[in-house]
Amino acid sequence: MAETQKSSINPALVMVAAIAGWLVPGLGHALLQRWSKAIVYFFTVGVLAILGLWMRGNVFSSSSADAFDMLGFLADIGSGVFYFLAGTINPAGGDVSRASGDYGTRLFATAGVLNFLCVLEVLQIGFGSKEEGHVVG
Amino acid sequence: MILTHFQTMVIFALAVSLAFAFLSKNTMSERLRYAVWAFLAFLAVAIGIGWLMYPFSR
Repeated sequence: MAETQKSSINPALVMVAAIAGWLVPGLGHALLQRWSKAIVYFFTVGVLAILGLWMRGNVFSSSSADAFDMLGFLADIGSGVFYFLAGTINPAGGDVSRASGDYGTRLFATAGVLNFLCVLEVLQIGFGSKEEGHVVG
Repeated sequence: MILTHFQTMVIFALAVSLAFAFLSKNTMSERLRYAVWAFLAFLAVAIGIGWLMYPFSR
């Protein structure tokens, strides 16, 4: 049976890894030497985010007064570098007048929320509260 | 880029089930099994709900 182990990782490194993992999906796991997780998270979050932007999904900004737009912003900001490069990846911006743009909005929000889960896992691994059992990366 | 609703759903299901498998399972065989199971469950539920909504679509 897997047991929760106390981590010997420096707490400062854990916090750096969490912030790095938010900015670049998978980088936090790479810093903690969980290589396979790092690669999978980078590609899954990256594919969802880039596809969402290419499909002209809406990217919410922090300046909105609407509560649902603010929730959208909180989800979108989770994708880190993809949020900040959204204007570069898709200079045309969002277009939700077509169904495709609406799907894109959901894909991009999913990428952000998924990356937040990955950041939480970085903190769990770093602080030793995650049962990892036989670690394979 | 224009993808159909179904193509978008397949990519979504693939990415999310893969990430969930790595988040929740520790060994590669467990992850593979979970990813396949979650992916098929995503598709089955989406297609099932689609058919349930079909009578109300017109």
